[in-house]
Amino acid sequence: MLGIVIGVMAIASLGMTGVALEQQATSNLENLANEVSVSPGEDIETDGITAEQVATIRDVAPAATVIPQKSNATELAARNGAEANVQVTGVTNPAPLYDIASGDDPTRLQTGALISASTAEQLGLQLGDPVEYDGQIYRIRGFIAAESGFGPSGGGELVLPESALSDQEYYNSVTVIAADGEASTATANAIEAEFNDADDEILTATSFASVQENISSFTDTLELALLGIGSISLFVASVAILNVMLMSTIERRGEIGVLRAVGVRRGEVLRMILTEAAFLGAVGGLVGSVGSLVVGLALFQVLTGDATLALEWSSSRYLLYGMLFALIASVLSGIYPAWTAANESPVDTLRG
Amino acid sequence: MSVIRLTGVTKRYDTEAEIIEALKAVDFRAERGEMVVVTGPSGSGKSTMLNMIGLLDSPTEGTVHLDGRNVTDFTEDERTEERRSQLGFVFQDFHLLPMLTAVENVELPSMWDTDVDRRDRAVDLLRRVSLGDRLSHTPDELSGGQQQRVAIARALINEPDILLADEPTGNLDQATGETVLDEITRLKNEENIAVVAITHDEQLVGYADRVVRLVDGVVQE
Repeated sequence: MLGIVIGVMAIASLGMTGVALEQQATSNLENLANEVSVSPGEDIETDGITAEQVATIRDVAPAATVIPQKSNATELAARNGAEANVQVTGVTNPAPLYDIASGDDPTRLQTGALISASTAEQLGLQLGDPVEYDGQIYRIRGFIAAESGFGPSGGGELVLPESALSDQEYYNSVTVIAADGEASTATANAIEAEFNDADDEILTATSFASVQENISSFTDTLELALLGIGSISLFVASVAILNVMLMSTIERRGEIGVLRAVGVRRGEVLRMILTEAAFLGAVGGLVGSVGSLVVGLALFQVLTGDATLALEWSSSRYLLYGMLFALIASVLSGIYPAWTAANESPVDTLRG
Repeated sequence: MSVIRLTGVTKRYDTEAEIIEALKAVDFRAERGEMVVVTGPSGSGKSTMLNMIGLLDSPTEGTVHLDGRNVTDFTEDERTEERRSQLGFVFQDFHLLPMLTAVENVELPSMWDTDVDRRDRAVDLLRRVSLGDRLSHTPDELSGGQQQRVAIARALINEPDILLADEPTGNLDQATGETVLDEITRLKNEENIAVVAITHDEQLVGYADRVVRLVDGVVQE
């Protein structure tokens, strides 16, 4: 019985772990899937992406939003003496790039600044407070919410009008926002085809959709590996169940002999043992599934922060698989001992 | 007409070392309403003979007639059917199923039949062996004598013609043994069945209508 429960738990829990890991890995990327990040390639002659190249990108992807960015780093000091290193980004259209926690979400940033909410808190800055960069004062118009997924995170971020970094001639990166994941992959390919050839890599275009594909293929591999481990548990559990059935039949050899002696037919003995095996399998499967559900709920809570996802079909189906396995394996394991017991001569079994 | 008849029955067992002849040209019969006790020392072939009479085993030579029919060459399935309808067994160790209650143990041989009277008959039989107040007790809640009476009731559930008893008093004290034997004798007369018992126990001989002595596989009546 314990063997069955452990087998079911191994299979169902591993299956659910795979689903939980995949969901955790992909959920962060979903909203980034339509973005293409363009950065200078190895063979670029200039010290960044030129305005002409940005124009060419616009031509290559006419339907997409093209957002060139200049970046730098600086140290901000607050009146209370606190200091923070921030990454400075000069961009005209920051709205599609940042989630704004409070304040403005400007599509044309001509004056003013956006700053990471965490940095603002660290420095005690409010909306409308000034920050200084390169001798210029900018008033804070909005706070950037905590970043999710990729992009500059960890440190704070200061977003300024492009003019604030006008001493830099070239752009450090260009973000292209396409309609969807498929379009972003096509755009990334088109950009690379436009600028690069076999020998020279002028610009590197990475679509997050392809990153997501990579991750998804990785989690597929992971799931396969887990399934492999699950199969081993499956095998071990099957052997355990077979052992349980064999032992229980051997233990009850005398009883079976009595049944046969008093005229119980072979088929009836067979049916009795198989019914018992099925019952054992069903109960073991049920207990194992309940156990796995608890494990699954805990896993999803830890990995994705939402325990109820464990109840969705994509993961809860493993509970059903586990239960079906227990039932089928128990009945299959019951067949051999049942057959042997039913066909043994009652004289031999009564002798013990 | 004898309800069971063995004619010239020989049983040989081939072991690797030697051939053992457990029964040698045994003739035996039992009539309805008769209690035949088979005695003999250990290894005399008593159990082998009971297996022949009980259709649990088939002879190497000779014939077995049940109720006038030659059942010698019956297949295992046919013998199972005969055991089910014609024979009742009582064993030395009672052999009750520990998980089942007294009444369920009695019903056991007919558990797979769709006979609606089964339960009523089981209860009636238990009442007749004075266990009407122990119907839902499991074997471990019953004394040895009570367990053997449950086994007797079980042997009679299918209204057999022959009751076969293998050392029925072997695990019981003298007084309990007597009660059980009284019970068997009474039921034998009420049901008009043949009782064949094998035993070492001289006490059983006193209840016998006829005694058959078996020595080295040979009958010495």
